[in-house]
Amino acid sequence: MKKIHKAKVNKIEKVSASSYFIEIECKNKVEVKAGQFISIYCDGLTLRRPFSVYANENGKIGILFKERGKGTKYIKSLNVGDFIDIAGPFGNGFDIKNKKALLIGAGIGTAPIAYLKSKLDEQNIENYYVAGFLNKDEIPQGMIIDKTCTDDGSYGEKGSVLNYLGVLINELSPEVIYACGPHIVLKMVSEFAQNYGIEVQVAMEKVMACGIGVCRGCVIDVKKDGKIINQTVCKDGPVFNGNEVVWGN
Amino acid sequence: MGKLDVKFNGFELKNPIMTASGTYGYASEFNEFIDVSKLGAIVTKAISLFPRAGNKHLRITETKAGMINSIGLENVGIEKFLETKVKELNSNNINFVMNLAGSTLDEYVQVAKFCNKNNIKAIELNVSCPNVKSGCLEFGTDEKSLYELVCAVRNEYKGFLIIKLTPNVTSIEALGLAAQKAGADAVSAINTLKGTSIKIDLVNGKFKKTIVQGGYSGIGIKPVAIGAICRLYKVLDIPIIGIGGIETLEDVLEFLAAGAEAVQIGTANFTHPETAEKLVFELEEYINKNGFKDLDELKKKLRE
Repeated sequence: MKKIHKAKVNKIEKVSASSYFIEIECKNKVEVKAGQFISIYCDGLTLRRPFSVYANENGKIGILFKERGKGTKYIKSLNVGDFIDIAGPFGNGFDIKNKKALLIGAGIGTAPIAYLKSKLDEQNIENYYVAGFLNKDEIPQGMIIDKTCTDDGSYGEKGSVLNYLGVLINELSPEVIYACGPHIVLKMVSEFAQNYGIEVQVAMEKVMACGIGVCRGCVIDVKKDGKIINQTVCKDGPVFNGNEVVWGN
Repeated sequence: MGKLDVKFNGFELKNPIMTASGTYGYASEFNEFIDVSKLGAIVTKAISLFPRAGNKHLRITETKAGMINSIGLENVGIEKFLETKVKELNSNNINFVMNLAGSTLDEYVQVAKFCNKNNIKAIELNVSCPNVKSGCLEFGTDEKSLYELVCAVRNEYKGFLIIKLTPNVTSIEALGLAAQKAGADAVSAINTLKGTSIKIDLVNGKFKKTIVQGGYSGIGIKPVAIGAICRLYKVLDIPIIGIGGIETLEDVLEFLAAGAEAVQIGTANFTHPETAEKLVFELEEYINKNGFKDLDELKKKLRE
């Protein structure tokens, strides 16, 4: 199937202090794996903007976004009934294992993790989802979370999700960790996982141009068979084995 | 023979729509959007003698009218290209030009020999690489270096030889003439403009700067490209392939009017991956609708 779609905006609403939910529908149903992304053409801008998928029911696609620049400003300006141009789904997505899972999401990185949780639940795979936000007002309405952390303690546990990682691993004994969030969170989660000898899959983010691996604009360093090689976040990722990513600083 | 044919001396395109190096990978990636075999030709990512990992720092950024890249010519190297990619291109019936990059004259020559031996029908020299032996001045900015480079490659390569000219020079005509004198079959113009983007954020009273220095491409460079092609067209006898910010049929017509025999689509492949195929259909429709006999007649009228 060709990967360019004309999509109609079904719903667009504010779901937290700074995040929005948009649901779009294409003529042909689009099936998206958790961790995959779509890229949206934003009127007049050269580069499409990539978004991890947050929900995908009956071929409809839901995305969670924050207004951060010109692209997201355009998306925020859309109205129900408008048509947009999307491409995808792209990327590998999470490799879902039939193993007890710990899910970690931070900030807008909670979007693909919340979608992954729904997939695990569907398959009756035991999982526990910890999500971290700046404060209470940043928690997206309707997101189903097992443990919430806020930096200022205005809701749930006070502090970063990282503060609770050791305790959770000891309590739950997960066999696999899935995570998405800021670089530093993914780096720390991967280090924890490595110390505990647990498989870890992280969904990464990087500025990209093509979304299909041709421009080599979004590469990161990954260790494979003892060698450090370039892998594209858009095509080889966005989900990587956290123990193979060369994290740097 | 179709209406849109472009017949170069020793290399034929079924239409004048090509895709630019670095924006189309090795083509197979675009099969999920379009039928790539419908294009005149694709130009591969720059291929060097050995695989290259490219640059480490942030590689791309968007600008107001395009983008800046500093990929650093990441590629699989000539041997792997010949082993895997050529087979794939041929089995998909894709007409291609191999873009070639090197850091020394010898490297270009060695890759050219591989191409000649393996019957690669057409190559495009990326001459915007720093020439290590002459103080890292780019081959493409110095007439003498360019002439020597093209002569050396010409000597080893019998196929169709295109030189991709850089706009970052005082007189692109002088460089075009040097390439022609050295035996090039065609020039393509233009490569990216040198540019730097500095994005500034004020975070907690401190400036956080994101800097990307590299090649500027996209719609913003179109007037520079058309200017260069007009000047080259006045002095050259060999054909010119136009590149620079092409997105629409109007853009294609403007390039043909300026003197381009064919065009390459670059940055637009990222924005709308179906652009090149769409332009083939639109050009054909335009010729039919307006009663031109073929592409050659359209070009002639556009240049009157």
